[in-house]
Amino acid sequence: MVVKRIEELISAKTIPASGRLTSGGWTFGEGSGYDVVVESGQEAVLLIADNANLGDLNIDVARGATLRILNIIHDHSAMNIAVAVAEDAQCMMTQVVVSASDTRVVASLMERGARFELGGVFVLTDDDQASVTVDVNHIASDCQSHTSVKGVAAGKSHGSFSGLVYVAPDAQRTDSVQSSRNITMGEAHIETLPQLEIYADDVKCSHGATVGQMDSDAILYMRQRGLSLADAKRLQIEGFVDDVVLHSVIAGSEEVLAELLAEKLNRL
Amino acid sequence: MLKVENLHATVGDKEILKGINLTVKAGEVHAIMGPNGSGKSTLASVLAGNEKFTVTEGKVEFEGENLLDLNIEERSRKGLFLGFQYPVEIPGVTMANFMKLAVNEQRKSRGLEPLTAGEYLKLMKEKSAIVELDSKLTSRAVNEGFSGGEKKKNEIFQMAMLNPKLAILDETDSGLDIDALRIVATGVTRLKTPENATVVITHYQRLLDYIVPDYVHVLYKGRIIYTGDKTLALKLEKEGYDWLINDYKEE
Repeated sequence: MVVKRIEELISAKTIPASGRLTSGGWTFGEGSGYDVVVESGQEAVLLIADNANLGDLNIDVARGATLRILNIIHDHSAMNIAVAVAEDAQCMMTQVVVSASDTRVVASLMERGARFELGGVFVLTDDDQASVTVDVNHIASDCQSHTSVKGVAAGKSHGSFSGLVYVAPDAQRTDSVQSSRNITMGEAHIETLPQLEIYADDVKCSHGATVGQMDSDAILYMRQRGLSLADAKRLQIEGFVDDVVLHSVIAGSEEVLAELLAEKLNRL
Repeated sequence: MLKVENLHATVGDKEILKGINLTVKAGEVHAIMGPNGSGKSTLASVLAGNEKFTVTEGKVEFEGENLLDLNIEERSRKGLFLGFQYPVEIPGVTMANFMKLAVNEQRKSRGLEPLTAGEYLKLMKEKSAIVELDSKLTSRAVNEGFSGGEKKKNEIFQMAMLNPKLAILDETDSGLDIDALRIVATGVTRLKTPENATVVITHYQRLLDYIVPDYVHVLYKGRIIYTGDKTLALKLEKEGYDWLINDYKEE
């Protein structure tokens, strides 16, 4: 239902599986499997929502092009997304995971000036098991990457985040930020495995990872104002994941994403 | 309104309140003073229903009900408000959203319909004026990045929004400069009616220049050891607590 609405929202700009965006527009049916090419200087939006059997997706973002990807994982699925970003091109991604799944994103910044951003969230309940991997390869110099993934796990769910930032010997002046912040409740677990592998010497790389419980002082504060325990928890978690929604790479998708998350948060 | 009898409370295995007796009637202002570590904040927390503390003995009646039977949010909905000494920051939750939920919970428990968006905005505007709270703050996350003064004003703003029967203000004056103190204290005074009551916990007499108490209690080692009128606060400011504590030791 929610996904339908997102599709309607951006249908004009959406390709279902594979295609090539040139100055003449999208063409489909070329290439093998799920390959997407955004040609030089083009701007494209890609929605991945009906993803039960997506498998592998290979994306090339050519010189100076911009690709925005909204990846919504609401059904059991496993997928690999590989993005190669060329000179002065950029790929921005919002990823929302609300079901058991295995998602792997590998972004390679192939030429100088390339940029990759990913803002992601996973919310797991009941006995969901999900893993999210985001690997960023800085192959060329003067590239930027920013990865932020938030995780919430409740019930008996289990989540994991794994993120590698690799900086090749020639990738001088790399600027990279990676963060993994997580909240667990009840018997749920989240593992986070951030990794840095740096072979260049002039780089700026930061990473941080936390796994914590809900803030009991904040819950107490809200209850003192009359909110029930359940409402206070829900409000806090909404506040935690909200910035991912607010910074969605597709303008206008915020409301539906918020609904999708709210539906899931009701199961906490 | 509030009747506390022989209240004992512990945190872990440490007894902090050792037999508090306190009666507060509608229309009254009570000040609770006392040296550090005497149990003032614990008393506020226990009355509010903070589950970190265990009540081991005694009775608390609020508006004819057994307060100790109610959980923290039920106490709030009955009209008990706690102004926090250290207001909590809640990232990602806007003041406006938070207060809307809170106000409507309170209304629901009194059998009233939720406020419409228009009514709510009007209420916020009216109440934020009482404490000269910058209206921009209500669109920001709860207390996040607020200055010390803004946090305390925000407590009184919430008090104004919720219109409680009994407000317990836990060191609302701590960390305030003189202007913020005046604004906060004036706000509290403006919210005073013959139907509500206020318990002010403070270290300093200066707050009581603005919020004139009917009674001043001195809390020491978990008991109220002395009760006087507003002149007691002045005497304590000048002479400290030693004369009282010495008296108490001799008992």
